[in-house]
Amino acid sequence: MATVPDQAHFSRQTMNNNLVPEWLSAEHSTGTSIMAVEFDGGVVIGADSRTTTGSYIANRVTDKLTPISDRIFCCRSGSAADTQAIADIVNYHLNFHKMEMGEDPLVQTAAHIFKELCYSYRDDLTAGIICGGWDKRSGGQVYSIPLGGMCVRQPFAIGGSGSTYIYGYVDSTFKEGMTKEECMNFTANSLALAMFRDGSSGGVIRLACINEDGVERRVLKGDEIPRFFEG
Amino acid sequence: MSIMSYNGSAIIAMTGKNCVAVASDLRFGIQAQTVAMDFQKIFEMGPRLYIGLPGLATDVQTVSQRLKFRVNLYELRENRRIKPKTLMSVVSNLLYERRFGPYFVEPVIAGLEPGTDKPFIASLDLIGCPMETEDFVVSGTCSEQMYGMCESLWEPDLSPEDLFETISQALLNAVDRDAVSGWGAVVHIIEKDKVTTKTLRARMD
Repeated sequence: MATVPDQAHFSRQTMNNNLVPEWLSAEHSTGTSIMAVEFDGGVVIGADSRTTTGSYIANRVTDKLTPISDRIFCCRSGSAADTQAIADIVNYHLNFHKMEMGEDPLVQTAAHIFKELCYSYRDDLTAGIICGGWDKRSGGQVYSIPLGGMCVRQPFAIGGSGSTYIYGYVDSTFKEGMTKEECMNFTANSLALAMFRDGSSGGVIRLACINEDGVERRVLKGDEIPRFFEG
Repeated sequence: MSIMSYNGSAIIAMTGKNCVAVASDLRFGIQAQTVAMDFQKIFEMGPRLYIGLPGLATDVQTVSQRLKFRVNLYELRENRRIKPKTLMSVVSNLLYERRFGPYFVEPVIAGLEPGTDKPFIASLDLIGCPMETEDFVVSGTCSEQMYGMCESLWEPDLSPEDLFETISQALLNAVDRDAVSGWGAVVHIIEKDKVTTKTLRARMD
């Protein structure tokens, strides 16, 4: 009697054997280096552009800076699927909220909606999110929502697998009262260092500056990416 | 976690007209973290004979050292340089001796036959199965990407200069799609009268 291979049989075959490449079954992960910095009048946010499936680079020009309202963005790290789904849901809630209130949502509101989702479903999700934006009540704000679903406002935040390599650098370089240009350079240098050391981060540096006037996006690629000591 | 992708590496060897080339990346990493970008993976076993060793870094160093020992003794006993095909058999034997607890390397050999200077390339799996080809051999964590690049870019009878360009582009673009290899690259072009070594300017991410 012939047997038809079922779904489970196929996934057993694709998982963990030498006949099938690992990237056919590995989950898409935005390995990542992400960062956001507050300044007087707005925020600067930045991210690398690498998405990996196992060790295969599935997308080398990913956009991890996702708008969730006109002046609020999120930086996504962790599972690509989880963070995209969460960002879509938050976008939906903020749209609704904006229509009810008749004015733009607060960054604090967006951050707390992220927190609600990430905390309630903490056992099922792998999402590390940095929410940054501008609103007219409190100006530029950065909120960090890491893996377990806590939410905390910080003058600057770093996240993703690449962030572990730059804690010393950011702690020693950050100072209060930086200008917009200084924040852009601080973010670009930090992300360049993280991308250099972390295998799961790389590609181009995407930057965005959010203030009262709107969102200004930049890409640093190739020779524009800062270089440091290379051993 | 797979043992063969713990450190990450990429090696290609290609034949041209009366020449061969072998190229490797330079990364030494521990899973996602990059530790060094000057890690040697191609070793000289004779004046026109090179072996590339991708895989677990500790075995890259152990196998190259143990192999050099065997080749040195061979050359002392035989009083001549070892031939590429013979080296392939020596490597095969060295690896199969460890059939049930193997070295985690999948070597690539490139060289010119002493006397005739005919190009020779070959690769082996981690337990010593040898494979000799006419065109190119690849090995490492991004082997699928390297196969794609080589299959599209290689053509027969490339001059040393064209072979250098071809092997460089094949390696660079393959490792740019692999998170655990890259961070610099080195190419050796082996001709009858000289060996040229060049370091490539590569993406350092």
